Amino acid sequence: NPTVGYCIYLLILERVFAAFCQTAHVLPPPRDSEEKEMLDRMLRVDHAGEYGANRIYAGQMAVLGRSRTGPLIQEMWDQEKKHLEKFNEILAENRVRPTALLPLWNIAGFVLGASSALLGKEGAMACTVAVEESISEHYNSQIRALMEKDPERYTELLQVSNKEFRDDEMEHHDTGLEHDAESIPGYWLLKKRYTTGCKAAIYVSQRV
Amino acid sequence: MAALLRGLRAGRTLRGLCSVVSAPPAANPQCSGLTRGIHCAALRLQDESKSDKPPPSSSSTTHHEHYQTHSAEQASTSDPAAEEASRPNTSYQDQSGEQGEEYETEEQLQVRILNAALEFVPLHGWSMEAIAAGAETLDLSSASTGMFYNGAGDLVLHFVSHCNSQLTEILAEQHKQVQLGQAEQKRTADFLRDAVETRLRMHIPYIESWPQAMSILLLPHNIPNSLKHLSTLVDDIWFYAGDRSTDMNWYTKRAALTGIYNTTELVMVQDSSTDFQDTWNFLDNRIQDVVNMAGTAKQVQSTGEAVVQGLMGAAFTLKNLTGLNQKR
Repeated sequence: NPTVGYCIYLLILERVFAAFCQTAHVLPPPRDSEEKEMLDRMLRVDHAGEYGANRIYAGQMAVLGRSRTGPLIQEMWDQEKKHLEKFNEILAENRVRPTALLPLWNIAGFVLGASSALLGKEGAMACTVAVEESISEHYNSQIRALMEKDPERYTELLQVSNKEFRDDEMEHHDTGLEHDAESIPGYWLLKKRYTTGCKAAIYVSQRV
Repeated sequence: MAALLRGLRAGRTLRGLCSVVSAPPAANPQCSGLTRGIHCAALRLQDESKSDKPPPSSSSTTHHEHYQTHSAEQASTSDPAAEEASRPNTSYQDQSGEQGEEYETEEQLQVRILNAALEFVPLHGWSMEAIAAGAETLDLSSASTGMFYNGAGDLVLHFVSHCNSQLTEILAEQHKQVQLGQAEQKRTADFLRDAVETRLRMHIPYIESWPQAMSILLLPHNIPNSLKHLSTLVDDIWFYAGDRSTDMNWYTKRAALTGIYNTTELVMVQDSSTDFQDTWNFLDNRIQDVVNMAGTAKQVQSTGEAVVQGLMGAAFTLKNLTGLNQKR
């Protein structure tokens, strides 16, 4: 009977389409409110971090965009944009509240990036190294926390967001070092300042 | 078993489960904690005296003695499996949805009492009297109101969270319909209006005493809870309206909807038109305001961008004209 066959065909098509359209669920459904709170806080900070990193690169590009390091910074910025997109997806899917300080990170990130770029290419690279180091450290501590709790439950989250992204951030860190970040005078002081700033930002974003 | 797991997970020291329904005395209910034991003892005593079914007197005394020894001690983790499943469930337990479960947690009992109390609210207002009357319809002593440390606040908060869950169910059902293609996705403004109207209509049976409920919710010790309920309500409505924003819009949208909801609620309590038509008109207008404001904000932003572009172009032209732009 052709009608039945057609109906079955449509059903199968609908299933395939639905499966295709479903984004892979990175997080397991939360067991209780405590776990949800912990995951919420982690995702909120990660999202804020990627958003800030985005703005930092935007600031750097605004100053150094037309110089020789422009393409390099642009490449790193594009990767950060991808990270931010992924986190936007995860946040929306899991109904996580984004941090209320986003406008602050918007301005602060841009100003940080622009001011570091005004110190020249080495300044921009030093800023990149410092920021990426803080972010990688943060991702590492998250990975440790999740592994301690329950590695199998959080496999997907660990794989996609933390390990993959942390590796990208480490790459940026190394790129920064390669491009004479350390040759700027006062590198140590600058780096210390940036990393402290990042730590404070991470602490605050977890809570607000 | 599921009830036991839930109770344990609640993180309280709820070691025993208390069953205060008029079950045959052959079973021995165990209560945790001395105070709850005293409550349970009082309830049991009242229960026995009030119960219509004549409990076998001999077993009642033995049960009573047995009970007294138990109430004093700190109850160890009771093993419901040890209790035979032969205790027949009363209709109350069936209604609570715990088919085949003999025990209910204190939370479930509180929920049942509060649900029963709601029908006395038009008579007694949002007060301990209503809770006591509700407890009495369940054949419990009115002393069981001692369980509710927050008094009328418990009743109001329970009602609010009950309405919120009802609304979430309705919205989830509609969402499912849309996903299955059986219904059209409503426009955001219409969706918000319908959701807020549905939620506010749940107040209609209690509208006379609703100002009292609102003032109870504003008491300082109730504010954290009532704010929590309000924020979950607004978050749910926006989620089902399709909001997936992850920037400041998340906050502005929820703030706007909270404002709309609260003001409409206030209008509703003093509305005397038929079927609260004035309230729904007010709601329509407020939602329209928000939509207009969003549109205006967008226009302002694009105008601003265009102006900036124009200025940049003018500056560039000036630089060219004055020769500042040449590379020397």
